[in-house]
Amino acid sequence: MPQHIKRLISVFAIFIVLFLVMRQVLKPSSFGKLGHFRADAIYENTLKPMHYTIADSCTKCHKSVRAEKDKGFHKRLKCEVCHGPGLKHSLFAEQFKGKELPDSLKLYKPGERKDCGVCHQKNAARIKIQFDTINTTMVHQIDLAEHNPPDLKANEPANCIDCHNPHQP
Amino acid sequence: MNQDTTKLSRRNFFKAGTVLASGVAIASALTPYDGLLFAAESPGAKGKWYGIGIDINKCIGCGKCANACKQENNVPKDPFYFRSWVEQYTIKNDGSILVESPSGGVNGFTQSVPDNEIYKSFFVPKMCNHCAKSPCTQVCPVGATFETEEGIVLVDEKYCIGCRYCVQACPYGCRYIHPEKGTADKCTLCFHRLKHGLQPACFEICPTEARIFGDLNDPGSKLNYFLKNHNCMVVKPHLNTGSKLFYNALSPEVR
Repeated sequence: MPQHIKRLISVFAIFIVLFLVMRQVLKPSSFGKLGHFRADAIYENTLKPMHYTIADSCTKCHKSVRAEKDKGFHKRLKCEVCHGPGLKHSLFAEQFKGKELPDSLKLYKPGERKDCGVCHQKNAARIKIQFDTINTTMVHQIDLAEHNPPDLKANEPANCIDCHNPHQP
Repeated sequence: MNQDTTKLSRRNFFKAGTVLASGVAIASALTPYDGLLFAAESPGAKGKWYGIGIDINKCIGCGKCANACKQENNVPKDPFYFRSWVEQYTIKNDGSILVESPSGGVNGFTQSVPDNEIYKSFFVPKMCNHCAKSPCTQVCPVGATFETEEGIVLVDEKYCIGCRYCVQACPYGCRYIHPEKGTADKCTLCFHRLKHGLQPACFEICPTEARIFGDLNDPGSKLNYFLKNHNCMVVKPHLNTGSKLFYNALSPEVR
């Protein structure tokens, strides 16, 4: 074998060995177990914190509200639809029974016109057909500009909840 | 050059051909070609194979799903980072199409076109389609995004180099670069909730039950019931992405 070929082979061999060593060091151990990705990433994705709870955890304390809500049109709505994520709220209440909730864990109490308008403001795109399930009602469409408009001179807000009970509208 | 050495008799040609063909047939029976298998059945044919159904007829555009997604997954509050958002389509009498999504619909919608000009109008909630043959996974140069066995497309935040290739590869515009982490971010179908047996936040919160979540492999699941009873369609079917987000009453204007 000519000298220059021998040199070339040895150079190639060094590079291949270097590549294998570096690959061993740099490659995460779980890479390639299930495919071209790190298998540990599946587990890491489950570790993210939750913020929304499930409906049953609210009724452990707020039984009367649930009973009230079950009779009205809003019976199929979950509490968190209006009040926002409540996992921390319910976990605190479970752990420290009877203790006062810190302000940061108190949930949002919607009451302004815009809060109800998110679903009930009249819009041509809002629901046009009836539900095909037990409760055949449409989402009521109200023109907030016409329906009991706030008296700006008297400085009265005229919130929806002044007349309607949101748990039993 | 001697012609005789290269010349092959007809008999020998058939002999060699038969041996070669049978050899390939036996070899392929021993280790089946993956590509053919993939076309025959979905990768998650045995375990769970999650899909999504959205009933556009039931969506009232309250934007609670978009809001819930932002809060559950700590998505930046700026109005251009979304994992899940809602669009309002308005088709006017003159045929022009107006698509609106004020801050992704997080704070709800207001009707901007007067009633007498509207031919039809509807809301389309959008999110990751969790494609079975997802383009975003195929283009990732480092293997930082992948499909799990359950059919959920996830991002490996530690491995992502933030090259933005997947962001422009997604035909549905469902990815963004997280401004703080500098990595690609997308809907995980609330993978952290699924592992606790809970539904993803947007499905949990939908007040009209317009969103249906379920296992496509389970014949008795809510999702399969929904798919059987409605004329469902995916967005951009011509791209053959294997999308698993099925819309009922999807108008052809939706892209």
